[in-house]
Amino acid sequence: MANEGHVNRRTFLKVAGGSGLAATAGCIGLGGDSGGTIVLGQPAAQTGQWDFLQPGVSQATDVAIQQINDAGGPLGNELELQRRDTGVDPNEARSVTTQLIENDDAVAILGLFSSEINPLWDFLQEQETPVVTPWPGSNFLDTNGGDHDTPDDLSDDEWVWRTVISDTVHTAGAALRALDQDHDTVGVINGTTEGARSWADGFIEAFEANDGTIAERIEVEQEQSSYQSALDRLFGNDFSAFAVSMPLESATTLLSDWADGEYGRKPILSDPLAQPDLASQVGSALDGAWAASPGQSGPGYDTFESAYQDGGDAEINAWTPPAWDVVNVTALAIERAGEASAEAIEQNLGPVTRGDGTEVSTFEEGQQALEDGDEINYQGAATPVDFTGFGNVVGSVVINEVQGDSFEQVETIPAEDIQEFVPEGEY
Amino acid sequence: MGLAQNVVFGLVTGSYIAIAAIGFTLIYGIVNMINFAYGEYLTIGAFTGVLAAGALPLPLAALAAMVGGGVASLLLAWAFFTPINDTGPVPMLLTSIGLGLVLRNAIRIAAGQGARYYDTTTSTFHLRGLPDLSVGSVDLLGNFFVTSRMLVVVGCAVAVFLVLHALLTRTDIGIAMRAMGDDESLARVRGIDTQFVRNAVWVLAGVLAGLAGVLIGIQTNVNVTTGFSHILQILAAAILGGAGSPYGAIAGSYVIGLVVALSTAFLPSSMTGLSSAMAFLVLVVVLLVKPSGIAGTEVREA
Repeated sequence: MANEGHVNRRTFLKVAGGSGLAATAGCIGLGGDSGGTIVLGQPAAQTGQWDFLQPGVSQATDVAIQQINDAGGPLGNELELQRRDTGVDPNEARSVTTQLIENDDAVAILGLFSSEINPLWDFLQEQETPVVTPWPGSNFLDTNGGDHDTPDDLSDDEWVWRTVISDTVHTAGAALRALDQDHDTVGVINGTTEGARSWADGFIEAFEANDGTIAERIEVEQEQSSYQSALDRLFGNDFSAFAVSMPLESATTLLSDWADGEYGRKPILSDPLAQPDLASQVGSALDGAWAASPGQSGPGYDTFESAYQDGGDAEINAWTPPAWDVVNVTALAIERAGEASAEAIEQNLGPVTRGDGTEVSTFEEGQQALEDGDEINYQGAATPVDFTGFGNVVGSVVINEVQGDSFEQVETIPAEDIQEFVPEGEY
Repeated sequence: MGLAQNVVFGLVTGSYIAIAAIGFTLIYGIVNMINFAYGEYLTIGAFTGVLAAGALPLPLAALAAMVGGGVASLLLAWAFFTPINDTGPVPMLLTSIGLGLVLRNAIRIAAGQGARYYDTTTSTFHLRGLPDLSVGSVDLLGNFFVTSRMLVVVGCAVAVFLVLHALLTRTDIGIAMRAMGDDESLARVRGIDTQFVRNAVWVLAGVLAGLAGVLIGIQTNVNVTTGFSHILQILAAAILGGAGSPYGAIAGSYVIGLVVALSTAFLPSSMTGLSSAMAFLVLVVVLLVKPSGIAGTEVREA
């Protein structure tokens, strides 16, 4: 009578063991089998200085995954996203990446900023899991990352791919426009984060390469209560425009100080600063300031936009279309590989984006073409996504100008016009 | 490059720090603990103020933030610090570090992403035509400006100093605070209700944190790290001035503010990002020369 209504130990162990095995099988990559789950990991900026950009990226990622799953999923499996916050802190990013790969069994990492990738470079190489990210502009990645145009040979791979154009490209666009507007001498003020420095470095290099002169460059810490001393120093120099590269909240403080101090001259903003909040907080003094941002002119932009609008109300920023591209290109790589392993994805990211295959702009189109035995060339929302050997993409640059309380797109600089700044073999 | 202009900037920065550092150092001197959660008290004040500003004029919103800061400080003290009053400074220090983490994340969850802003307008007043008084490339006077926002910050700081001085020298509770700061056992023997005085200190520190939070929020924005990003400067100012001394904290705050402003203005351009580090370098040098800090109260315990 003592065992009545109870499960004996042997039965319990059988059930528990079987359930564990089934659960494990359901979570890991399932090779070519269908009906399971494939986990993708997304380190995210849900907190920290860049958190204002995450809602758009999250929404783009979610709608892309939903659309792929609605089409049957890669190899008939359901894509599942694990999103974990890093706060754009390298130490946290290291923990999160480890968790995603080791605990969540993610077969690819769909995120990480320049500020996280650069200090964690060796660690990321050791993981041997592809990092396909919409975030990093760092010029460090100009010659680091990708498969070096040898997709089948993993020995020379550097595992990091980005679907957003490099700072080298759009800072060149900013430099060219500044010179076009007769700003021959400019000042530069930038924060100390990797991303902020990288933007300033790229701008200065392109500006000086075209015979522009930098009057003075000043670095300042983020989250200061006042930037008046730095501004006073910068504006002690003779120049007609000044470039600002800092996280949004610090830049808002700095530019409010600039407006209060009535320093004048034209602000040139780094691309993350093209946010309505900045324009509304600083006020009319900012009218006419402009930012050169990665263009949203990929062949698949319209497809992305219509799906995106149905997914929520987060604003589209420069990293939103690249986030859509990240998911699609990864899913297509799995589909082409015929298995959902990190190595297989790494070997197929290049082949689904390069060459003369059938041009596709959604997973469903790509899946169909692959089933028909064709090669494919994914056409992205932000750029055409033709991955170079270093895992980079080339695209146009748009100029967004402050008009009232918002940024308006006033000009597009085609990719061909700035191609000279990304010489073949060095990008 | 004008020295006078940068001195103005340094005084404004010092004023933010001073208001908060007084509260921080009062807790150290009377409750005998370093409260690392104090930055979060500023954040609570800043959020209370920005919420109140949605319905009230800014001065009343600032008052609401001060009341909110005081109440929050007292409740947190009753919940976390009063029960371990007798365990010594190290357990209280560790508790404050843990409390700070919890509060920061609780605020993050409650307040959500992104920064909030006070809706303010600023007027700028230029002082031009001053005589040229140059030493090398540095103009000792030079043209300079102040904004209405700067004047409000400095004005609030001066008001706080005057009220604090009157409180500490003219009221029974203030005199009791100073007595406890000198020798708690002796104060108790003389009939001072030490727990009541501790409670009063918690409230006063919270009120000052609330005001500092609002002023920083007006100058920058209100987010989850509003207070945390300033706690090291507040700590440095309190120690530099002589931990436990409110007058020393005021002096230490202005030294920190001036060093940050002047190092940004005059360091080589490749080193301008190190202005906060320069402030800490000054702290180290001062403590090496005078370990008791500016006002003479030596730090011997955590």
